[in-house]
Amino acid sequence: MKRTALTNKLLVLGVDGMDPRISKKFLAEGKMPNLQKFIDRGAAREDIRLLGAIPTITPPCWTTLATGAYPGTHGITCYWRQSPESLDAVVYNMDSRNCLAEQVWNVSAEAGMKTLVWHWPGSSWPPTSHSENLSVVDGTQPGSVNMGVAQLDWEKVIVATPEIKEVRYAPRVDKPAGVGCIITDLEDTLDNDVDDEMMELWWGDTARQGGEIRTYVMDDEDTEVVIGSKVAYDIVNSPLKEATGWANAPEGSKEFTVLTSGGVMRRPALILKNAAGEYDRVAIYKNKKAEAPIVVLERDKMVTGIIDDVTKKEVTKPACRSMKILELDPVGNRVRLWISNALDISNDQLWHPKSLYQEIKSNVGEVPPVSLIGGEDAELVREIFEPSWDLYNKWQADCLNYAIKEKGYEVVFSHLHNIDCAGHQLWHLGKTLEPWNYTDEKTYQGFIEKFYIQTDKYFGEFLHLLDEGWTVFILSDHGLIVGENVPPIIGEYGGLNTKVMEKLGYTVMKKDENGNSIREVDWEKTRAVQIRSNYIYINLKGRDKYGIVDPKDKYDLEEQIISDLYNYRDERTGKRVIGICLRNKDAVLIGTNGPECGDIFFSVEEGYNRLHGDSISTSEGYFDTSVSPVFVAAGSGIKSGFTTERTIRQVDVAPSVAVLLGLRFPAQCEGAPIYQIFSEEV
Amino acid sequence: MSLQQLNSNSFEEIIYDDCESCLVIFSRKDCHVCKEVVPMLDELKPQYEGKFGFFYVDVEEDKNLFQRFSLKGVPQILFFANGEYQGKLAGKVEEETVEEKIAEVLNA
Repeated sequence: MKRTALTNKLLVLGVDGMDPRISKKFLAEGKMPNLQKFIDRGAAREDIRLLGAIPTITPPCWTTLATGAYPGTHGITCYWRQSPESLDAVVYNMDSRNCLAEQVWNVSAEAGMKTLVWHWPGSSWPPTSHSENLSVVDGTQPGSVNMGVAQLDWEKVIVATPEIKEVRYAPRVDKPAGVGCIITDLEDTLDNDVDDEMMELWWGDTARQGGEIRTYVMDDEDTEVVIGSKVAYDIVNSPLKEATGWANAPEGSKEFTVLTSGGVMRRPALILKNAAGEYDRVAIYKNKKAEAPIVVLERDKMVTGIIDDVTKKEVTKPACRSMKILELDPVGNRVRLWISNALDISNDQLWHPKSLYQEIKSNVGEVPPVSLIGGEDAELVREIFEPSWDLYNKWQADCLNYAIKEKGYEVVFSHLHNIDCAGHQLWHLGKTLEPWNYTDEKTYQGFIEKFYIQTDKYFGEFLHLLDEGWTVFILSDHGLIVGENVPPIIGEYGGLNTKVMEKLGYTVMKKDENGNSIREVDWEKTRAVQIRSNYIYINLKGRDKYGIVDPKDKYDLEEQIISDLYNYRDERTGKRVIGICLRNKDAVLIGTNGPECGDIFFSVEEGYNRLHGDSISTSEGYFDTSVSPVFVAAGSGIKSGFTTERTIRQVDVAPSVAVLLGLRFPAQCEGAPIYQIFSEEV
Repeated sequence: MSLQQLNSNSFEEIIYDDCESCLVIFSRKDCHVCKEVVPMLDELKPQYEGKFGFFYVDVEEDKNLFQRFSLKGVPQILFFANGEYQGKLAGKVEEETVEEKIAEVLNA
C-alpha cells in the first residue's frame, strides 16, 4: 500500500490503568501541567476518553491497542487464558504466540522502521517478526521490566534497637497496619503457606510454559483487594550497639545487622554521626573487615543501583537493590531501614536483542526494583511504594529517551505500570467501606493524586519530542475505579469465582463433615462455572473433562443462567449486581465472542465493580474515577489544540498509527483511523 | 562432643565478625540421623585444627537461628567463609562429601 506518512517518528506512551475522568479532575486543579501541554498542543476528546475494549483487563486491551482487533478476534480475552484441560484452572496468557492478530509493530519493523516495543503486556513477547528492525523488551508481565524472571530476594524492613537482644528473621510476615515491626513471637508470625515465589508462580518459567494455576475465589478474603492491600515483607530485628571488631568504623558509630537472601546473607551496618553529633546516616558493609561500605544512606532519600550478592536456591549472584532509611533516631536508639527486592543484573532473557540490555545498563543504569509493599500501611505507601515508582519512572523515561536519541529508534511502543500497580493495592481504600473501616479515605485519595502527579512528571520527560518532529500518543488500557460497594464474588479475574454461582446452584463445591464448602469442585453436580473476569462455561458433555450437561440442553441452560443472574440480588444491598449477560454468539456485539470467551459473557453492574475487569468500559466509580482508558495525541501529523467529538475506540489506535506512519493496516484490524484529528486529509 | 555450640550472638561474632572458614551443623538431640552425623564431624575436626572451624547449633535451644536460615528439618550442615554463606549439606551425609565441601570452601 502506498500512503504518504504524516510523521516519521512516533512514540506511544502507554500508562496502565490511567483514567481520563480522574485525570480531568487533576488537570482542572492544575496538578498535571505536562499532560495539559500535550492536550493544548495536540488533539483529544473533551473528556480525553478512549472507548475501551472489553474485557477491561490488561493483556486483552494492550493487545487490542497493538492489533486494532477486538479480544474475541485476537483471542487474548483475560489476564489468564482458560486451561484447555480443566474448567477450574487458568494458564499464562501474556505470550504473543497465543495472539491471532498481527501487531502493528511488526508492520512498522517490516516496512524498514526501527521499532522498539518496551514492556508492553499484551502479545509482545516473544517477538513475532524476524525483522532485524524490531526490538522487544520483556512484556511477559505488567509489573516492571525483568520483574517476573530476575527477582532473587524479597523486600525487608530491618528494625534495630538496643532493647533487641539477638538477631531475628521472619520471612514474609503479613503485618497488620499500625503494628510495629518487632518480632515478639516468631511462631505466630510465620505463615506455613507463605508464597515467596509469587512472581515466579504467575509469570516465571513454569507459568510461561503453560502450567495450570488454580485459584478459587470463594469469599471476600480471597479477593484481590483484600489480599493485595495486606503488606507482607521479611522482618529483621537486630540489636543496636557500640561498634566492635570493625576494620574501619567511624568514631561514635553503632552497629546492627541486616539479613538478606532468606536469612543466609548477613551484612553488618553502622549508624553514623554528623558533625553536630546526631545520627543521620546508615552505612552497610559486606563484612566488618571491609574498608569501604557498599552504600551510605541519608535520611529521606531512596537510593537505587546498589549492587550486592544475593543467594537464592544455593546460587549466589550480584543483584540490584534500592534502600531507604525509614526512621533514624538522632541520639542513636532506633533505626528502621527498608531494602527492596533484588533483581539479578545478569538476566537478559527477555531482551531482544540482548545487546540492548547491556547498552541500557551501561548508559542509563540497572533496572531499579519497584516496591510492592504499601497497601493499608500508609507510611510504607508514602515513604517507599510511591517513591520507588517515581525512581523507576525516571529510569524508564531515561531508557526511552536514550533509545530514541542514541539508538535511532523511530517507532516506540511503551508501557508503564505505576498507576495500575498502585491501583491494585490501594485504590479501593479511596472509599472507606466496612471491611477496611480502620483506614482513612482522604489519605488514600491523596495517594491516588500522588501517582497521577508522578505520571505527569514522566510525561514531562517526553515533551521535548514535540519540537523534534515526533508524534506522541498518551493512552491506557483501562482506568481503575474506587469501588462504591464491596464487590460480589463474581467476576474476579484471578480464577474460579464460586460464591454467587454456588448460591444459584450451578457450581457445587464438595463439603466437609460440617457441611461447609471446601476448595474442590464437585464436578458430578456442577452444571456451570464462572471463571476469569467475565466468562461462564457450561460443564458440557463431550467437550469438558467431567461434563454433565447434554449439548441439547445447553441453550435452555444458558437462558436459565442469564435469567438467574439478572434476578440475583446482592446480599449486602439487596440490589441487582449483574450488568449485561450475553450468549457467546451475541457477544460479538462487544467483541467478546469466539472460542476463548466461554458460553456466556457477563459484566458486573456499575456501583458494584471491583477495580476493573468485571465492568464494561464506561463504568464509573467513587472519587471521580472510571474504568475508561485515556487518549491524547500530539505532534507531527496531529491537529494542534483540537477537540474532537468522535468516539475513539481502542481498536482505532493501531490503524491510526499505521496511517500516520504511512503503513498498511495490521492484518486483522477492525478499527478505523481517527482521521478527524489528523493535520492532513488521508 | 568437641564441637563448640553457638547461640544467636556467638553465631554473629564467630561466623560473621571473625570471618572464619567453618561449618555449623544444625541438629536436635533426639534426631537419629544427627546422632550419626555429629560424631563423624567430631572425628573430622582435629584434621582441620587452625584451618577450618566446626560448630553446632541445637535447634531446640536456638529456634531463632533455625528459622533465620529458613531450614526445613535436621541435620543440616551450613558452610561459611569470610562471613559469607557457602552452601549446605542436608540429611545423612558421608564423610567424603563433607571433606569435599570443606576443600571447596577453603579453595574458593
